[in-house]
Amino acid sequence: MSLLAVFAAASLTAVFPGIDRAPRFQFGGSDQLAFQIRQGAPADVFASASPKYVQQLHARGLCSKPKVFATNTLVLIVPRANPAHIRSVYDLRRRGIKLVVGAPGVPIGDYTRTLLTRLHLRSALSNVVSDETDVKLVVAKVALGEADAGFVYRTDVKPAGKRVIQFELPVRAQPTVKYELCVPTKRKHPQLAARFVREVLSKRGRAALKAAGFGLP
Amino acid sequence: MRAAFAVIAALALAFLALPVVAIFLRVSPATLVRELGDPVARDALVVSLRTSALAQLLVVVLGTPTAYLLATRRFRGRSMALTLVELPLVLPPAVAGIGLLAAFGRSGLLSTSLAFTQSAVVLAVAFVAAPFYVRTAVAAFEGVDAALVDAARTLGARPWRVFARIALPLAASGLGAGLALSFARGLGEFGATIMFAGSLQRVTQTLPLAIYAEFAQSFDVALAIGALLVAFSFTLLLAVKWLRSDWISPSRFAPSVSG
Amino acid sequence: MAALRLDLSVALRTFRLRLALEAERETVAIVGPSGAGKSTVLRAVAGLVKAAGTVEVNGRDWSSLAPERRSVGFVFQDYALFPHLSVRGNVAFGGPPGDVLERLGIEHLAHARPRELSGGERQRVALARALARRPEVLLLDEPLAALDPHTRDTVRVELRATLRELGLPTLVVTHDFVDAAALAERVGVLVDGRMVQMGRADELIASPATPFVARFAGGNVLHGRARRLGTLTSVELSDRTVVTSTDAAQGDVAAIVYPWEVTLARTPPTDSAQNHVRAVVSSVVPVANRVRVTVGTVTAEVTAESARRLQIKEGEVLVATWKATATRLVAL
Repeated sequence: MSLLAVFAAASLTAVFPGIDRAPRFQFGGSDQLAFQIRQGAPADVFASASPKYVQQLHARGLCSKPKVFATNTLVLIVPRANPAHIRSVYDLRRRGIKLVVGAPGVPIGDYTRTLLTRLHLRSALSNVVSDETDVKLVVAKVALGEADAGFVYRTDVKPAGKRVIQFELPVRAQPTVKYELCVPTKRKHPQLAARFVREVLSKRGRAALKAAGFGLP
Repeated sequence: MRAAFAVIAALALAFLALPVVAIFLRVSPATLVRELGDPVARDALVVSLRTSALAQLLVVVLGTPTAYLLATRRFRGRSMALTLVELPLVLPPAVAGIGLLAAFGRSGLLSTSLAFTQSAVVLAVAFVAAPFYVRTAVAAFEGVDAALVDAARTLGARPWRVFARIALPLAASGLGAGLALSFARGLGEFGATIMFAGSLQRVTQTLPLAIYAEFAQSFDVALAIGALLVAFSFTLLLAVKWLRSDWISPSRFAPSVSG
Repeated sequence: MAALRLDLSVALRTFRLRLALEAERETVAIVGPSGAGKSTVLRAVAGLVKAAGTVEVNGRDWSSLAPERRSVGFVFQDYALFPHLSVRGNVAFGGPPGDVLERLGIEHLAHARPRELSGGERQRVALARALARRPEVLLLDEPLAALDPHTRDTVRVELRATLRELGLPTLVVTHDFVDAAALAERVGVLVDGRMVQMGRADELIASPATPFVARFAGGNVLHGRARRLGTLTSVELSDRTVVTSTDAAQGDVAAIVYPWEVTLARTPPTDSAQNHVRAVVSSVVPVANRVRVTVGTVTAEVTAESARRLQIKEGEVLVATWKATATRLVAL
């Protein structure tokens, strides 16, 4: 068990351990992870699903200059049984649909709202029944069949397997989803941290990300 | 040795008091009050109070007859029933949430459309808080002197009258203490709620859920909500202590020592 | 047709209570040692405990009725007054109290709470509460036990008068023979679930069926072996003293002598009394205006004045004397 502590966005749960199994990972909403680091949590590497949080930490002198390492796109998922008979994202305007999204401030939540604004579908937000604090919970609720629909990252669909059906979203509406990582200044294991960053950015790391469905910068 | 114990006790008490005190010291009272005016906090307060009130009503209405039966009748399966009543106590709240989904979710055992509604919050709160009430209520009813029940029966009181005019009034302060405990637990409920009801401002986002949603965005609002919950909890704790002392040694009812 | 007819069999922890009893409009006391099942008899009549057999009141069979459907007035051992109700609330619990508060002289306490009352007052409230429903049977469980000796004497007299006035079939349970004798017309002695004797109090004193009854009613019980000696019986006690009795008996017996039939002197009197015991005074106990003096194995009861006159003190040697006719023999 390595001594390295990696705090990473929830959507990296499946792919990061594939790149390096050794570190102790803590996955969660990027905003909550950033908060914990600000409070002094002992992270050696921080990988966020949005530039916002790493930039904030960097601006406060709490971590090194952020590096982009992956991109992602949003998709709409519905349970396999599709209880609300959704055929496209425009059906979300229909009243009474149980829509689950990320909470405002959580990267997936902000990205979703940007997307809906660009599609002129903000009215769909009145169908939201729950603001989840990380994307894994959105996936879970749709996969369980409790929610009618949810917005998640493309990379979250494969782990959910047959339990969900995915709908593509218009490219022009997609927000720019950039994953950035940095090394907090208070890291305990600088060499191990630097090595992990190198691994993620290496050819092997990029191949793993691509295989999981991430885009590469 | 006594000095060493005193030091240890002081440390223990400080450990217990510090997190609570810190909430109030971290920001000024003025900030606390102002942040409580934040819509997230206000909406959470309304949701919490409404769902708590309904949940406790459910707990009392269903729990009181149950407790009375458990306290006064010996039947086969009684100890099993008592264990069942205590089960939510030892169940991790998240597990309770999963269980509620598995039972009442759309794809659950009894398919309902309760998930993600305010009613789901009421159910989740009632589920985790009920044992606190029922356990205390059973003890309170058991504490009613059997001779008084016998006397009432010889005076022609049918079972309902015995319950309503003898058992209930005499167990009242114990029931009150149980309700206060149940209320406190219900107010703080998080795990089962977030699983089964989700978190949506104004609908299902209770005070604890609001803390969780806000702390990474706006720590001051989270603190203010925390302070509010501390104030509630403290008041309820005082209520429990006052009611309990009244019940365990009901000096109101103690016979005077005279011949 | 008896007002109250019982034929009960109740399984208790270590034995079975079996009782057959008939009573008219009278008070019957049930006495005996603790654990004999006395309270169980009352509870069986009230229906609070399951009993095999019959409970018949004024011709009606109560055996299958729940307690709340039986017309009993039950005064419990510690009164079981409802602490959260006033006196009036307690008395009226079973129904409109009528004039029972006035009849028992407690109307001035109507608004008091039980905890504010004295023992004697509480007893009267318990009785009033039991009577308010005009019960057909009255059941009293140790009605005087919770009172201090002084209050007890007054209450005993009052209670006796009240019971006579009421004229209800009444069962009184008590462990005190004096209480039983004062309150009841008949006394039954219950030992280990069986009634060993039932009769008037003076009958129990005069002809106790067993040594227990004798001891219970307050008599001396001396064990020994009996032999016929002409028209009399000679009993040799374990300490070699010989006492004579006019009763006929043989073999192991208990000789019963009542304290008030024993006289005391410094020297053996030369009169017709045949039984003498010369021994050291081991205890002198005043009881009201009398004194109980234990000489050797025999307890005598004399007036306080006589005790003073004779200057009776512990440690002295006295002679206890009683007649052969006052020596009752019970075969063992």
